[in-house]
Amino acid sequence: MGAAQDSVAGRLSSFLPAEALGWKAEPEDAVYDRETIFEYIDGAGEVYRAYNFRQLLSRRFVKDGGPDLVIDIFDMGTSTDAFGIFSNDLEGEEAGLGQGSTYNSGLLAFWKGRYFVSLSVDRETEEAKTALFSLGRSIAAAIKQDGPKPALLTFLPPEFAAVKSVRYLHSHIILNRHFFVSHDDILSLGRAAGAVLSKPGKKGETGILLLVEYADPKTAAEARAGFAKTYLAGAKEPGIVQTEDGTWTAAILRGRILAVIFHSPSEEAARETLGKIKIEAK
Amino acid sequence: MAKTIITRRDFLRAAAVTPFAGALGTCCADAASAAMGPVPVKGRGVGAPQSGSPGSRVVLVRDRNAVAADRKYNAEVIQKMLDDAVAALFNEKSPADAWKRIVKPGDTVGIKTNAWRQLPTGKEIEDAIKGRVLEAGVPAEKVAIADRGVLNNPIFQNATVLINARPARVHYWSGLGSCIKNYIQFVPKPSAYHGDACADLAAIWNLPHVKDKTKLNVQVMLTPLFHNIGPSGFNEKYLWPYQGLIVGQDVVAVDATAYRVIQAKRMQVFGEGQALETPAHHIALADTRHKLGTSDPGKIELIKLGWTDEILI
Repeated sequence: MGAAQDSVAGRLSSFLPAEALGWKAEPEDAVYDRETIFEYIDGAGEVYRAYNFRQLLSRRFVKDGGPDLVIDIFDMGTSTDAFGIFSNDLEGEEAGLGQGSTYNSGLLAFWKGRYFVSLSVDRETEEAKTALFSLGRSIAAAIKQDGPKPALLTFLPPEFAAVKSVRYLHSHIILNRHFFVSHDDILSLGRAAGAVLSKPGKKGETGILLLVEYADPKTAAEARAGFAKTYLAGAKEPGIVQTEDGTWTAAILRGRILAVIFHSPSEEAARETLGKIKIEAK
Repeated sequence: MAKTIITRRDFLRAAAVTPFAGALGTCCADAASAAMGPVPVKGRGVGAPQSGSPGSRVVLVRDRNAVAADRKYNAEVIQKMLDDAVAALFNEKSPADAWKRIVKPGDTVGIKTNAWRQLPTGKEIEDAIKGRVLEAGVPAEKVAIADRGVLNNPIFQNATVLINARPARVHYWSGLGSCIKNYIQFVPKPSAYHGDACADLAAIWNLPHVKDKTKLNVQVMLTPLFHNIGPSGFNEKYLWPYQGLIVGQDVVAVDATAYRVIQAKRMQVFGEGQALETPAHHIALADTRHKLGTSDPGKIELIKLGWTDEILI
């Protein structure tokens, strides 16, 4: 491990306690970077790489008669990407930790600043759950600095801004995980772009809104043209189409931001939703 | 009966993995319908081989006693399930005759397993396969079971026959931990095959040390993992005691069948809104792009044996 990696790992380690409620840390932590993460979580490492992941420190805790407990703390480089990887999995109840958190069947996850933290047990017990929360609170307190969410979120209309509805992403593969658009990257999502997907309601009854921020207006215009050619084919007027299931999909471009509403229940609702997105063209 | 509507999303999902993908627009619904193939068959389907050759025949065998409530596998039941499946696959009366069509006494046999800590293939499955390989006359010193490390394993390096067995689990990036994907350890840098959600995993099967050697695939559906949460993706809550094995020579047909079952389970639990998670398009591309086997359910002969409750296919 290089000095820089040592430094990052040391910082990550400094946030983690050595024990909680009888669970004691094993002597050696494991540290992974963008290349070695596959040794830890195989191909699933690509999900973290899609979010600008820098480094991961994993610490296992053991206790006689109890399930093993694992803490994974990820340095995601920026708070926007820490929020992004957290938003990738929003199942569970709010846990009251960090800047956003969930608890689901033995998995406690939260984000704070540039860090995403996962605490888990394979087999949930009341005692283990108590230990997870104790450790989680300790880590959240040790990370002193909050960080901002992606600025794109500020453009969401209120009905699309509920915490449990919003995902932040950079990759069309991640987008497809939450809402399938196409196997091809027809929206030109890439690491340079950020996107916010909002899917309110269990089935997105009010429509599914996607905002994509590109590096410059030219790239955004090209992306819109590519999307229109592929997805809005058959439109009677530019930028809006009724799809085969009777719902409406529409897109508008504002400077370097492309907004798309999918599955809107009516033409009027689609136009109204896009009209609520107040972005100054630059 | 409700009318099935093919949307442009359906079309884009199908078009990318079919050889006749055309422009969307004038022919969207018809093209999408065609691209998605014939409706699934039940029981012995269309395209069934006329001889004893398995072709794209797939056997789904289930036994409600295969796995206990504590996830412990019942070795005796599993052996019988495997025997029944292999006999049906080769249209032989006895498992021993079927295994003679898989391995010969002079073969060197690598059994590619999966050692993922949370949900491994399982010793009972490995032993069931190895036992029958030995009974077919292959010497013990010519048989190995391995996962990571196969590239440096002398038996796998000299293998004349490969047998592929792994548990089914959904996967954040590839969509499904498939039998196709189980061969990723046959390349020195697995991440080189992660592009486009592992689209080209089937290319591994065309490498010289793998090509045409696989004589049996066993997709272990005893307790498939149908949903991922957390970095490892594993949580016991999302294990499902399906109590099945899916067995075939055509790895694409095996995976396509397993994928349909998992999709049906996800649909049952989560509803349409979360049915897909990451689409496992590497399975269809193994067929249409790499010509490794058959993914179209209309061309797969599916034989179902045993327990049928909640079979979902």
